[in-house]
Amino acid sequence: MLAIPLAAQKGAIAFTEFDLDNGLHVIVHEDHGTPIVAVSVMYHVGSKDERPDRRGFAHFFEHLLFEGSANIGRGEFSKHVEKAGGVLNANTNGDRTYYYEVLPSNQLELGLWLESERMLHARVDQKGIDTQREVVKEERRQRYENQPYGSILIEVLKRAYTVHPYQWPTIGFMEDLNAASEQDYIDFYKTYYVPNNAVLVIAGDVKAQDMRKLVEKYFAAIPRGKEIVRPAAVEPPLQREVRDVVHDQIQLPAVVQAYRIPAYGTADFYAVDMLNRLLSNGNSSRLNVELKDRAQKALYVGAFSFPFEHPGLAIAFAIANMGVPAEELEKAMDAEIAKVREELVPQPELEKLKAQLETEFVRDNSRVAGVASNLATAHTFLGGAQMASRELERYLSVTPEDLQRVAKEYFSPDARVVLHYLPKNQKP
Amino acid sequence: MAGLLLAAFTHCLPMNAQVDRSKPPRPAPAPAVNVGQHTTFLLDNGMRVILVEDHQQPLVSVQVRFDIEPVLQGDRTGYIDLMGEVLATGTAAMDKETLDRTVDQLGGDLSTSSDGVYASCLKKNFNALFDVVQAVVTTPTFPEAEFEKARKRMLSGLQSRKDDPDGIADVVGRVLTFSKGYPYGEIPTENSVGKVERKHLEAYYKRFFRPEKAYLVLVGDLTEQEARLAAEKRFGLWRPVPLSATLDANGHEVIDGLGPVVRPTKTPKPSRVRRVAMVDRPGAPQSVVRVVFPVDLKPNDPMALAGQVMNTVLGGGVFNARLMQNLREDKGYTYGAYSSLDADRYCGHFSAGASVRTEVTDSAANEMVFELEHMRLNGVKPDELALAKSFMAGSFARSLEDPRTVARFALNTYLYDLPKDHYATYLKRLDTVSAASVMAAAERFLHPDHAAILVVGDMERVGNKLVPLSFERGVLQLDENGDPYREELGPVPAGVTPQTVLEAYFKAIGGREAVEGVRSVKRSMSSTMMGMPVTVTEWNAEPDRYALEVRSGTMLLQQVRCDGTRAKRYGPEGAEEIIEMELEEMEMNAPPFPELHYAKMGRLVLPGTVQINGEQAYKLMVMTDMGSTFSEYYSVASGLKLRREEMKATPEGTMKVSSDWKDYRAVKGVLFPHLIVQKGPVDMSLSVTEVLVNGASDAKYFAVD
Repeated sequence: MLAIPLAAQKGAIAFTEFDLDNGLHVIVHEDHGTPIVAVSVMYHVGSKDERPDRRGFAHFFEHLLFEGSANIGRGEFSKHVEKAGGVLNANTNGDRTYYYEVLPSNQLELGLWLESERMLHARVDQKGIDTQREVVKEERRQRYENQPYGSILIEVLKRAYTVHPYQWPTIGFMEDLNAASEQDYIDFYKTYYVPNNAVLVIAGDVKAQDMRKLVEKYFAAIPRGKEIVRPAAVEPPLQREVRDVVHDQIQLPAVVQAYRIPAYGTADFYAVDMLNRLLSNGNSSRLNVELKDRAQKALYVGAFSFPFEHPGLAIAFAIANMGVPAEELEKAMDAEIAKVREELVPQPELEKLKAQLETEFVRDNSRVAGVASNLATAHTFLGGAQMASRELERYLSVTPEDLQRVAKEYFSPDARVVLHYLPKNQKP
Repeated sequence: MAGLLLAAFTHCLPMNAQVDRSKPPRPAPAPAVNVGQHTTFLLDNGMRVILVEDHQQPLVSVQVRFDIEPVLQGDRTGYIDLMGEVLATGTAAMDKETLDRTVDQLGGDLSTSSDGVYASCLKKNFNALFDVVQAVVTTPTFPEAEFEKARKRMLSGLQSRKDDPDGIADVVGRVLTFSKGYPYGEIPTENSVGKVERKHLEAYYKRFFRPEKAYLVLVGDLTEQEARLAAEKRFGLWRPVPLSATLDANGHEVIDGLGPVVRPTKTPKPSRVRRVAMVDRPGAPQSVVRVVFPVDLKPNDPMALAGQVMNTVLGGGVFNARLMQNLREDKGYTYGAYSSLDADRYCGHFSAGASVRTEVTDSAANEMVFELEHMRLNGVKPDELALAKSFMAGSFARSLEDPRTVARFALNTYLYDLPKDHYATYLKRLDTVSAASVMAAAERFLHPDHAAILVVGDMERVGNKLVPLSFERGVLQLDENGDPYREELGPVPAGVTPQTVLEAYFKAIGGREAVEGVRSVKRSMSSTMMGMPVTVTEWNAEPDRYALEVRSGTMLLQQVRCDGTRAKRYGPEGAEEIIEMELEEMEMNAPPFPELHYAKMGRLVLPGTVQINGEQAYKLMVMTDMGSTFSEYYSVASGLKLRREEMKATPEGTMKVSSDWKDYRAVKGVLFPHLIVQKGPVDMSLSVTEVLVNGASDAKYFAVD
C-alpha cells in the first residue's frame, strides 16, 4: 500500500451533515476565507431518467426552473440573486442536475429561500415553456450544429449504447420537447424535484451550528416525494467495433474512438481515468508527444473519461494536421493504446500523473463553489460526502499493473466505436 | 391554458408561522470586504517584484509579465504570437521534451504568451518550477524544428478556423473594429505566416523581454523572505541585451533580425457611418451577429467605472442585462446575448454579440442596435442601476477569493498608471455611480450610428435583409480574413468564350433558328406572396415590349407595361412612370430571348467556372454600356442557363437578386424553364403553368396610357 502523502491528509474537506424528515440531505462546509457562500442543490435526475420519447427533459428543466415560483415572478429568480450581488447557474448531465448560487455571505438566507421555492412550487407557465424551448433550440444549434465537430458526442452515444438511455445526449431532441404536454412537465417535476431526491450544500462563510435551524425554516415544509424508480436498463457489452464516417462542415479530418468503461466510483474507473491522463494530460503526455510533437500528425489530441453513474465512456479525439488522412491518424492513436496494453507504464511516468493529480485536487478544492460541487457529487454518487476527500487517494493507489489490466480489459479494438469526421466536400 | 402553477402540494402543507415565503428574506448586515495587501520591491536590474501572500492553500503561482507597446507586424503578421508559442520549446539547458516532462513531473502548469510566462504548482515543488520559468524567460533558444512545428500548427489552425463561425467573427470583428492598419486588427493569414522566420521570433524576444520592463508576480504560500530570496536567485543577475537605437529614414526603430519596426501613429476611430459586413457560410443554421466599434477608453479614465456599470445593464455578465432579456428571454432568438466594453491603454473597444437562428438575423441585429440607441437616449432606470451596482460589488468580493486577484490589481496599478488606492476605493466609487454618470458614459462610449455590424451566416438567406441597417445601403462581403470577398472561380478551358457559351445555350434549348423564331411569349405562373396564392403573367415581345400582371384571385395587385417607348407601373396606390435607367433596362430585357442581343448590350466576360446547385457552370458577366452589370451561369454539361444574378437598387439600398431556372420543358420546339426560384428582395418560387409562343398579338397588354 502506498502511504497517503501529507497534502492529501491536509486536504481533507471538513463538513457536517444532517437529514430533514422529508429526506433532504444537507451538507455544510465552513470556510471564512472570503465573505461569500455557495448554496447548491443537486437533484439526482439526468437524461438517463427520461422517457425515450421525452429526451431532453432534465436539461429542459434546468432552464424551466429559473422561471420563478408561486412567490417569485417570471424572470425574478435571477434578479433576486444578481440584486444581492451573487451569481447563479445550473448544469445537467446524464445522471444529475445541479443548481447553484454564490452569494455574499450575508445573503445566505436568500439562497435558501430561492432553492426552497424551486423545490416546493416552481412556476412554469406556457410562455415560459415556449420561450425556453426556443432558447434550447438555439443552444442546440450553437453548441452542436453550428460548431465544427460539435456533433461528436451525439454521434458517439447513439452508436455506443443500444438499450441504455445514455444513448441520447443531455440536450435531447427538439421533436420530443415539442411533443410534450403540460402534464408531462408537471409529472416530471413532481417525480424528481423532491427533497428525498436532492442534496443541499452550503459552503463558505457560515456558522455550521446555525444551519439546521435555518435550513428547516425553509425546507422542512416541503413534502417528501414518492420513491424514485431508477432506470434499470443494463447495456450489454459492445462485442464488436462499430465504425462509421460522419461528414461535417470542417476542413481537417478528425478521429474519434470511444470505449465503454466502468461506472464512476468503481476502482477501475480511477485506473481508466489515469490511463486517459497518461495519454493526454499535459505536454509530456503520450499522445501529445508522439502525435503532436514527434510525428506531427495531429493538431489537437484529447482523451477523456466520463464519470457516469452507470458504465460510461472513454473518448479519444484527435484532429489531423493539414494533409494527414484520418486512417494514418487513427493508426498512430491505436499504437499508443497498444503500448499501454503491452508494456507496463514506467514508475516515473506514473509518479508524474500522481503529482499532477495532487495539484489538481488542491486547486479543485480551493474555492467554495468547487468544494460545494465536489461534496454534492460525492454524496450522490460515491456513497457519502466523506468520499470527496478520498478521491485523490483512490487515484494514488493505481499501479502500473492496474493500468495495463484496464487497457486490456476496456480499451479493446474489438469493442469500440470509431468515427472518422471528414470534410463535407469529400462526401462521395 | 393560463399560467400553470405547479402548486399541487401546497394545500396540504402544515402552516408554518415563522416563514413568510412571499418576500425574499432580508440580508444580514453586510460583511466587510478587505482587499488583500501586496508587497513590492525592485531588483537591481529594474524588474519589479509583486508578492501577495496567501497561506490558505499550499499553492504558489508565478507570472513574468513584460510591458510591451504594440507594433505593426505587416506582411509577417503572426510572428509575435509564434514567439509566445515557441518560447517554452527549448532553453539553453533543456529541449522541449525535457522541459515538458519536468513541468509535468512537478504537477505544475506552465504557459507562455507573447508578453510573458505564467506557472503554478504546489508549494513543495515551487523552487524547481521557478527554475524552469527562469530558464524559459532568460535563455530560450527558439529551436528551428520547434518553430517549424508551431508554424505548421498555426497554418492548420487557420485552416480549421474557416469553419468555426465564432472564430471567424472574432477575427473579422477585430479587423472591422481596429482596421488592418492597427496592431490589434492585424490578422495572421496563410500568406503572412509563410513569411515568418525563426530569427524574427528571437529578435522580438531580445528587444522586448527586458528586466527593466518586467514584472515578476508571486502569489500564494510564500513568505516575503522566501519570495525575495527566490526572486533574487533567479532574476537578480539577469542583464538585458544592450539596445542599439538605430532609426531608419522614416524614423522607425531598426531591430536586428527584424528590420524597421513600425509603431501605429493613429488610434482607430469609429467609422463615419454604420456599415454592414457579412462572411458567407452557406446553409448555416445560425448567424453569429456582432456590433463592434473602437472606443476611446483607457483603464485610468475617470469615466471607466460608469462605463462598466452601463455595460453591465446593457449586456455584460448579468442575466438581467437588456440584451439577454430582450433577445433570449423575451424573443427566444438566441441562447445568449452579451456585450463588452473593454478599456485598453492603447485602444479600447465595444462589442455586442449573439448567435441567432438564421431566420431572425436581421431582427436580432436591429434589436441590438435598438438597445444601444435606447441606452444612449434614455439611460438606465433606478432598479437596473441598483442591480448592476450590487452585482459588480458582489463580483468584486467574489473575485477576492482568488489571491491572484490582489496581485492582478497591483500589476494593473503599475501597468495602467492607476491611482494607488484605485482598488481600495473601488466599492466606494462604485457606490457613487449615478444614473446621470451612466448616461454620460453611454453617450460617450456607445456609437450605434458608427458601428460595424458583422454577420457570419448564410448570405443568400439574410444578406438582403440586412441592407436597411447599413447607412451605406449595401452589404459588404468579406472573406474569413476580413478582406473583401473574391469569388473562387475555376479555369475556363481554351476555346470557350462568351460567344461559345451562348451558342451552346441556344443549341441546348432548340437551336438558334428556333430561338430566333420566337417573336413573343406569354407565360402564366403561379406562386405565393405572404402566404397568399397569386398568379403572375408575363409578356415578352421583340424587340422591346414587356408586360407583367400579378393577381390574387381576380384582384390586380401590380401591373407593368412597356410599349417600347414608355413604361408605367400600376399598383394600388396609382400609376408611376418608369424612366431613365430602369426603362432602358426593361427594354433591354424585354425580348423573349435577350441573350440573342447580349453582344450588342456591352462587354461580355467569362471570368471562370463555379458550382451552381451542385452543377459545374460557366459564369458569364454582362457589363452593359449603361453601366449596369449582371451575371449568368450556364451549365458546362447541358449548356442550359441555371441562374441569373444582379444587384438591384431598391428604396432600402442595393440588394442582390437571383433567379434559378429549373425544370426546362419544350414548348413548340424550344425549352423554357418551368420553375423559377427567385431570391431577393422578396423570395418566391414561380411555377410556370402555361407558355404561349407567338400567340395572337396582345398589343393591348403593352399599351401605356
